[in-house]
Amino acid sequence: MYHLLMGIIECAAAGGSGIDGDVSIMAASISGYTFSSVCFHSANSNSDHEGFLLGEVRQEETVSISDTQISTAELLQVVEIHNHDPCAQLFSFYDYAGKVNEDNLNRILKDRRKSVIGWYRFRRNTQQQMSFREQIIHKQLTQLLGVPDLVFLLFSFISTANSSTHALEYVLFRPNRRYNQRITLTIPNLGNTSQQEYKVSSVPNTSLNYAKVIKEHGAEFFDKDGVMKDIRTIFQVYSALQDKVQAVCGEVEQSERVKEKIQEDVNKLKQQIALRKRKTAEEERRLREAQNAESHPTSEENSEPSETSLLSRVAFHAPSAPERPGTSPNPPSYSDLLSQEDSLLSSSSSPTSAALLPRPQAVGSPGHPTPGPLGMGLGLSLGLGLGLGDSSEYENLVSEAAHLPMVSASVLAQGRPAALSPDGDARGSQTS
Amino acid sequence: MNNMSPEVALHRISPELRPLLCSVVRNGRVGLDSTNCLRVTDLKTGCTSLTPGPCCDRFKLHIPYAGETLKWDIIFNARYPELPPDFIFGEDAEFLPEPSELPHLVQWDAGDPECLLQLVKELIQQYHQYQCQRLRESSRLLFEYDSLLEDPNYGRNMEIYAGRKNSWVGDRIVLVCPSFISIMSSLSQDTALDPGEDVALLSVSFEDAEATQVFPKLYLSPSIEHALGGSSALHIPAFPSGGCLIDYVPQVCQLLTNKVQYVIQGYHKRREYIAAFLSHFGMGVVEYDAEGFTKLTLLLMWKDFCFLVHVDLPLYFPRDQPTLTFQSVYHFTNSGQLYSQVQKSYPYSPRWDGNEMAKRAKAYFKSFIPQFQEGAFANGKL
Repeated sequence: MYHLLMGIIECAAAGGSGIDGDVSIMAASISGYTFSSVCFHSANSNSDHEGFLLGEVRQEETVSISDTQISTAELLQVVEIHNHDPCAQLFSFYDYAGKVNEDNLNRILKDRRKSVIGWYRFRRNTQQQMSFREQIIHKQLTQLLGVPDLVFLLFSFISTANSSTHALEYVLFRPNRRYNQRITLTIPNLGNTSQQEYKVSSVPNTSLNYAKVIKEHGAEFFDKDGVMKDIRTIFQVYSALQDKVQAVCGEVEQSERVKEKIQEDVNKLKQQIALRKRKTAEEERRLREAQNAESHPTSEENSEPSETSLLSRVAFHAPSAPERPGTSPNPPSYSDLLSQEDSLLSSSSSPTSAALLPRPQAVGSPGHPTPGPLGMGLGLSLGLGLGLGDSSEYENLVSEAAHLPMVSASVLAQGRPAALSPDGDARGSQTS
Repeated sequence: MNNMSPEVALHRISPELRPLLCSVVRNGRVGLDSTNCLRVTDLKTGCTSLTPGPCCDRFKLHIPYAGETLKWDIIFNARYPELPPDFIFGEDAEFLPEPSELPHLVQWDAGDPECLLQLVKELIQQYHQYQCQRLRESSRLLFEYDSLLEDPNYGRNMEIYAGRKNSWVGDRIVLVCPSFISIMSSLSQDTALDPGEDVALLSVSFEDAEATQVFPKLYLSPSIEHALGGSSALHIPAFPSGGCLIDYVPQVCQLLTNKVQYVIQGYHKRREYIAAFLSHFGMGVVEYDAEGFTKLTLLLMWKDFCFLVHVDLPLYFPRDQPTLTFQSVYHFTNSGQLYSQVQKSYPYSPRWDGNEMAKRAKAYFKSFIPQFQEGAFANGKL
């Protein structure tokens, strides 16, 4: 199966919006300092203890799409407990019958009322189950505070008979649901040591002292836009490097061109040398033959194909130096390939059918200028394309080459397999 | 920890809460089964572990109800003993009584020792209603219950328990056999039975919704069971398939009533019998059972031959005839006992009245004694 996670849509909603049946899962977390603060207050009380939980509830929706095209949306309600508000005594906002007194409630909560997401109770040596009065109070709080999914955190302190072991157990309930009433409460950064990353919570820092200090000393680290100075400096370094690289690129291009030109000149000179050598060799041969021909008459067929080949070679600046492609430092230039097939010219004058087969286009091959007059096109591609070894360039050349005169077409066709591999496999070169 | 005697519990509980718990464990009787007291276990404290004891303020209360035992947690706070307790209703997580129906909670008075007991009684009432609500889901027992409710005999004296879907416990209805109790009270006037201690409960369990598996059981307090001749003597008829409680319960009650009446009759008969013998044999009476009238010993003389007659009256007298044991006062057997002969069959009719029986017995003695004398002389040694 091939899963693709598509976007996480976050909507921050203090108090949560709309219970979506029993589909949504709830995850809850409490910051370490809040948890320890609650424990501290609870453990120090000589009776049961209760208070309110302040925080934020947000909903995360995860949409997953799989190969079967069935998209499922998962609603995750995340409860984050940022703070707590302990009650000074029991029965401070409710009476013996468990009826909640709204005035007392407001007096205790004051303006923190809107960030209440739940409440907690601590009782020693009791079961992890909501009690009768707790359930009654919970129902009323849900209505009064207008939080549909109000949570209830139950702390229980169990001591063994000889006081050797004490266990603090805590369970988070969401009693307004029918099923899955217990939620796991995680405390970030409190767990096993295999977790290396320090999780930062999204609790907003409302400390005035912190804000003051940061303001005082912030100028050393932040510039006027609020961006850290280091970042800007690094960015500047980066930009400078980028510029340098760009400049070097230009220089490299230029030197490459120069080099290519010089290489061409060198090749030309080599050709001329070779030509001259051949001329002298032939003249000597002719002289010898002339001497022999006086005694034996022979045909002069051999000279003709070589002459035509000479002509064609000259027209295409084809060298006759038998350079093997593998030994040259550069990737074989097109002219090298042509020279190899000298000997073949005489044997096959008709083009093989392979030459006329259309080569498959490579998928996503970079667009390159359609060659105009073939000589020009070849020349261009010789200069630029060959150096890069781009197979798509070669293929385009071949398709154009179908229009070439027979001789050169066969040369082209036969020259190709030696240089290119894989043959005609362009489409399959895309890896999955 | 589990079987804690009430005194231990009282000792460990915080002193301010002691009076409340005292009335619960000492006098606490809730529900129909008054022989079963409320039991307290798992006393724990809500104070820090450094607090010197006794400071326990939370415990589990075991309450018998409809053949089950409810285990409710009651949570106080020792540091604030004036505050009312909180409850955890164990497995009945959905039981949530309305506080307005619990006057002893709303007006909790920590100074009144009976307050907790009264509150528990109110909770039991609410629990009973809760079970009736749960019965709405299964119509069979509801039909039975409603029909019984209308009958003034059973009316309010019923406990109902709607079983759980996931456990082996089926629906159950427990009721008091009322006529039974009234008879028992009449019995108690003659005997030393205390009617407050006695209870006769009929428990009928419905294991499935179609009422094909119905198990009736009769619970009697031990004294009644003994008086009726042991558990083997009491067989209640099986619940007829397709029958209903409104027919079955009176049947069972009638059976019990008959039995009890029979026993009472027997008692009276025995008393009559002994009285008759007393008047007939006068000075010859050595001793007799003056409470249950089950035994009588006579010392008689016939032609200078003295002998003892032990009369054992069976439970189902006058249907079963008394056993007469003749014992010689002179002769011993080999094993060192007084020589005796037991007579189980002699002329007897259950239709005779006490006087008649005494007369006939006298006549029988006269006829039998020569035989006995010979036997004693022959087999016993002086």
